[in-house]
Amino acid sequence: MKNATVVSNNTVPIQKSSVLKKRIDFRTLFQNMLPIILFFILWEVLGRLNQEFNWINPLFLPPPTLIISDGLVLAETGIITSSIISSTFRILAGFSLGCIVAVLTGVIMSRSRFVETWISPIINLVGPIPALALLPLFIIWFGIGEFPKILLIAWSTFIPVLIYTLDGLKSVNSTLIRSALSLGANQRQIFTRVILPSAIPSILVGIEVSLGLSFSALVVSEMMGAENGLGYIIVDARNYFKISNMFVAIILIGLEYSLFAYLLKKMKNRILFWRKGGARAAIETKK
Amino acid sequence: MQLTIEDVNKSFGDKRVLNSINLQIKPHEILCVLGHSGCGKSTLLNLIAGFLQADSGSLTVNDAPIKGPSKTRGVVFQDHALFPWYNVLTNIAFGLEVQGTPKAKAKEQAKEYLELVGLQEYAENYPDELSGGMKQRVGIARALASGPDILLMDEPFGALDILTRDTMRKELLRICQELRPMVVFVTHSISEAIHLGDRVVVMKGGEIAEVFEVGIQHPRMYDHPRFTQLMTEIEQVLMGEEELSQVIRD
Repeated sequence: MKNATVVSNNTVPIQKSSVLKKRIDFRTLFQNMLPIILFFILWEVLGRLNQEFNWINPLFLPPPTLIISDGLVLAETGIITSSIISSTFRILAGFSLGCIVAVLTGVIMSRSRFVETWISPIINLVGPIPALALLPLFIIWFGIGEFPKILLIAWSTFIPVLIYTLDGLKSVNSTLIRSALSLGANQRQIFTRVILPSAIPSILVGIEVSLGLSFSALVVSEMMGAENGLGYIIVDARNYFKISNMFVAIILIGLEYSLFAYLLKKMKNRILFWRKGGARAAIETKK
Repeated sequence: MQLTIEDVNKSFGDKRVLNSINLQIKPHEILCVLGHSGCGKSTLLNLIAGFLQADSGSLTVNDAPIKGPSKTRGVVFQDHALFPWYNVLTNIAFGLEVQGTPKAKAKEQAKEYLELVGLQEYAENYPDELSGGMKQRVGIARALASGPDILLMDEPFGALDILTRDTMRKELLRICQELRPMVVFVTHSISEAIHLGDRVVVMKGGEIAEVFEVGIQHPRMYDHPRFTQLMTEIEQVLMGEEELSQVIRD
């Protein structure tokens, strides 16, 4: 409890106390980075030794330093920058479109019995189909432009977010509704002030879960009929047998995914600041 | 303000939970409903609150039948049921705000109730940051803030430790003396019922077994002869011969 000395009394609201945590703890940072650094060093050593002794074709496992230098060469052609830009655009557009439409659909479905009886069987029918299976169909229908790619990403985001949204809207604590009713709230107020806020944690879980799916959809859609994008670099590298370029793209996808996951987590903590507890809060350990 | 319960029956499926309940509750009265778990006392409270509907019979407030939940009947729940995403002040102002009071004015009024329960320092805190007793105080303040005529309390202190319970009882009595609402207080603690109630209704197996007039001046002491006498009488109503002998031995 290092913060306790800074906070003069326990009436300080949560938002303020979280600001105090902003001091970067370099030791923990280093501790978190250490396994990753070791991983790359090991890879480098293995790659170099492999180049010496030819255990497997050295082309198959380029050491990290070679990947970086090849990446720099690739970057000079401008393909990396343009790929990152177009991939980011696609994921942003598709992912947010999928999330927004899913939450709206979930809200409408939970509000209207008609929609629920007529739309949910159809969603149950098409929902289990892996989104990636639809890509060739989308390409035939909509061509090879941006639209089918964004649609595929949106679709792969849509289903999980919708399911989590519906689950969240349904599993609201009925005592909270009772208490709102006895305080004089009408149906609309109960929805906006009780049901929706209590569904938000579940919706955010759905959004986090579908981020991985939407990245798969991004990569696959760029592997089929694209002129740029991180998935395109992978296919292009395969065609010319430039394995190191493949690694460049793979690492960039990993980095981009981590960035998005980090931003989502930040957003989630911001929205759910009122939530305490969980396994972390169960037991306080000495630092 | 008078609450009348006439010949009320309620079943869940095949199980009869309430069997021809008749009760008249006077204005400003504190009525304690006492019984084992599963005796139907919470069901009775939920009927008065309007969360459930009676199978037959009638529940009326000033001759108007109870059709559903209403802001004139505030409820305090055992698990406090505060909205975890609102801070303490917003929780208390909730009733006023949904009823159309402007935000600033609702907050202003909520502050008065926060002071009434002695938590003015915790206005900006969130429910998860409070202790059980504090949460329940907020629950009481929230129920009172929308100015109900009747306060319904469903084992509100059931989850609290014995010392906090004691303080909360005193607080509740003080608040009741100040605001003079009608209170229906459900509990399974005999001493709590005698401590708080003007009358104690003892329920058993879905029926009203007996009604006791307490008739002791506040503050009530446990060693008051009437208190001890009531304890024994209620124990006799609540428990069978065998259980009773065990209680005495313990």
